[in-house]
Amino acid sequence: MISPRTLRNLRSELSRSLLAKLGIAILAVILFTALFAPLLAPHDPTNQNLDNANIPPLGFTATENQTSSEMVDGEVQIVEEEVVVNTTTAHPLGTDSLGRDVLSRTMFGARTSLLVGLFGTSIAVVLGVTVGITAGYYGGRIDDALMRFADVMLAFPSLVLAIALIGLWGQASLRIPDPLVAFGIASSEMPETIVLPGTVIVVVALVNWVWFARVARGEALSVRDQEYVKAARSMGGSDLHVILRHVLPNSLTPILVLATIQIAAIILLESSLSFLGFSGAQLSWGFDIAQGRQYLSSSWWIATVPGLAIVAAVVGINLIGDWLRDALDPGIEGQGGAP
Amino acid sequence: MTDPLVTVDGLEKYYYENDTLLDRLTGAEPEAVRAVDGVSFDVREGETLGVVGESGCGKSTLAETLMRLREPTGGSVTFDGDPVFELAGDDMDAFRRRAQVMFQDPFSSLDPRMTAGEIITEPLAIHGVGTGAERRERAETLLEEVGLSAEQIDRYPHEFSGGQRQRIGFARALAIDPEFIVLDEPVSALDVSVQAQVLNLLADMQAERDLTYLFIAHDLSVVRHISDRVAVMYLGEIVEIGPTEEIFENPQHPYTKALLESVPRADTDERDRTVETIRGDVPSPRNPPSGCSFRTRCPELIQPPWLDLPQAAFREIGEFRTRIENGDIDVDLRWEGVGDPDREDRAAFVDSLYEEAFDTGLPAEEEETVREAIRALADGDRETAAATLRERYRSPCEAIDPALPAGDHPSACLLNEQPEDVETAREEWEADHDAPKAGAASE
Ligand code: SF4
Repeated sequence: MISPRTLRNLRSELSRSLLAKLGIAILAVILFTALFAPLLAPHDPTNQNLDNANIPPLGFTATENQTSSEMVDGEVQIVEEEVVVNTTTAHPLGTDSLGRDVLSRTMFGARTSLLVGLFGTSIAVVLGVTVGITAGYYGGRIDDALMRFADVMLAFPSLVLAIALIGLWGQASLRIPDPLVAFGIASSEMPETIVLPGTVIVVVALVNWVWFARVARGEALSVRDQEYVKAARSMGGSDLHVILRHVLPNSLTPILVLATIQIAAIILLESSLSFLGFSGAQLSWGFDIAQGRQYLSSSWWIATVPGLAIVAAVVGINLIGDWLRDALDPGIEGQGGAP
Repeated sequence: MTDPLVTVDGLEKYYYENDTLLDRLTGAEPEAVRAVDGVSFDVREGETLGVVGESGCGKSTLAETLMRLREPTGGSVTFDGDPVFELAGDDMDAFRRRAQVMFQDPFSSLDPRMTAGEIITEPLAIHGVGTGAERRERAETLLEEVGLSAEQIDRYPHEFSGGQRQRIGFARALAIDPEFIVLDEPVSALDVSVQAQVLNLLADMQAERDLTYLFIAHDLSVVRHISDRVAVMYLGEIVEIGPTEEIFENPQHPYTKALLESVPRADTDERDRTVETIRGDVPSPRNPPSGCSFRTRCPELIQPPWLDLPQAAFREIGEFRTRIENGDIDVDLRWEGVGDPDREDRAAFVDSLYEEAFDTGLPAEEEETVREAIRALADGDRETAAATLRERYRSPCEAIDPALPAGDHPSACLLNEQPEDVETAREEWEADHDAPKAGAASE
């Protein structure tokens, strides 16, 4: 399905674009981290140690209010002391208010984000493309009904819709044993399971499928009038044959581009849900930001580190989306070849 | 004469506009677009029937409806004795194998994401013929047969030229060994030099495989060498059908004659005439003219019995009448042009408009009738002006719809032989309309 020409376009666009390379590099680092988090993380991300709470990142200082009072000239004065806490490499990005290692938490948090991003987008693609292609290919009343429904879905702000759906269904999640820990490759101190936040995945998919439906419908509408579709039908090809053999392959490029962008949007949505406490995830970038929010003035790193991770992931994925869009631009696809 | 393989009888395909939900709610009448308006013909076994007409005349809709890619709104098509529009299941399957289409556009008729081999074997895959290896072998053979090379089997359409793509499209139509192929403008998009090669290929294959063709084109010269018979279409109807040589040597219908004149020739004098013979645009099939559908452009428009004008003069009057009926003449603007905003000098108005509209000198009687109409127009009475002209210069072509009679070389024009009911209608019309008084008598 991927023609040599497509590969050629992808390669030439990649060699031309510095941003595309940057995007791939960022995503590669995040993927690697997520896959091997139990091997890479210095600590168990859930391990609490109140003695070591609120340690700043390596080399940074933190101010703490020491409530030592002194009597000066008959008045009580509260003296603020500046304390430089972190000089050890044990917690290079510091610890949170419960003494958990921020670096380890951010590494493990990448798993949640990517899982939700990939699974959520996959479900959204399957759902949206099925509905969109059906609507676009058959047209008429089927199209009217499906697309009106899709418009109604779009009218709700996605976060509100997601919260409503979670409220309706509750938070279910699946715990999958982490193979790295189970087979003894990683330290047994690491969490034994990967949490797959089921409800969140379904909900983000339901909130985002409409975009795929719209794009797929538009593509199907234009493909179905091509002469090769007429030709296939005149040969006796069934609707299913025409859709699978012609409409789907010829609609794929913009859907693929949209999918990359939607992964980023879904990662953001997951973070928002975690931040607001609706996802039930205990180990996710959004959750950590929510935890760190109340310490923002004193321990800024607790929220900032996962926040930067989100930014990096979204930017990286969007850069890849841009690269795909430029390389697979249908405008370039259709042309070329000798007259 | 061999038996017909395909019989088309009274085929109709209307589209309805104004048929959205909103229109239905507001009760707007659906508007019929008569793409194909009652077409009948046979395609005999082993022959090539050419169908020619300008774009928009409904020839492609005809092809697609005949192949049941669109459902007809009336009429029937019979293929080897089977009613095509009633086929289902295995019988429909058999029809889809026995009849194929080759399309016009070398770019959009091939799926850009499939290789030449996949494209050619698609009908075999759809009907489950042969194993993968057998199909591939077949595709290689076909590629060679249509003048390409077997090595090109894994190439994508964009790697081929337009002519080569059409060859691939033809190979696809041949793949499942059909008996009948509809060729929908197969060479229109190609350069003239390439056209001839592809046409030769089509003719060779027909001889080799006993194929029957329905060949659609917008240009008579293309069908001349490949067709046994030619049908000429205008506004969704067939206006003339006959053996190719007769159509070219002895055309009957004014539209066919005009098309023949417009075939470009080396001689420049002839080219000048082209512009003269067929003017104006094809009327919209939404609102076809009354009577003969060609009458708005016909160079041989029939005069009523009481007139015997030179044809050029009759045409000029007709065009002038259309302008008035359509309200194309802005009376206010013309008065200003005359330089008489008080509208007193009616004679100046009449002279100016008459001289602008008429190059040929009209006989005194007719000139007076026309001037009388212009006088009414000057007074702002467009109705009377139009009625004056309509009375005297009406043509039977406006009232009587000519039909295509049976026979070997019929033509749907009142100048030619017509079925009895049309002749009767025409006689009645002539009896009903007496010569109105000419303008001169009233002054
Ligand atoms: S019927 Fe009249 S208008 Fe029509 S083609 Fe014949 S002469 Fe022309």
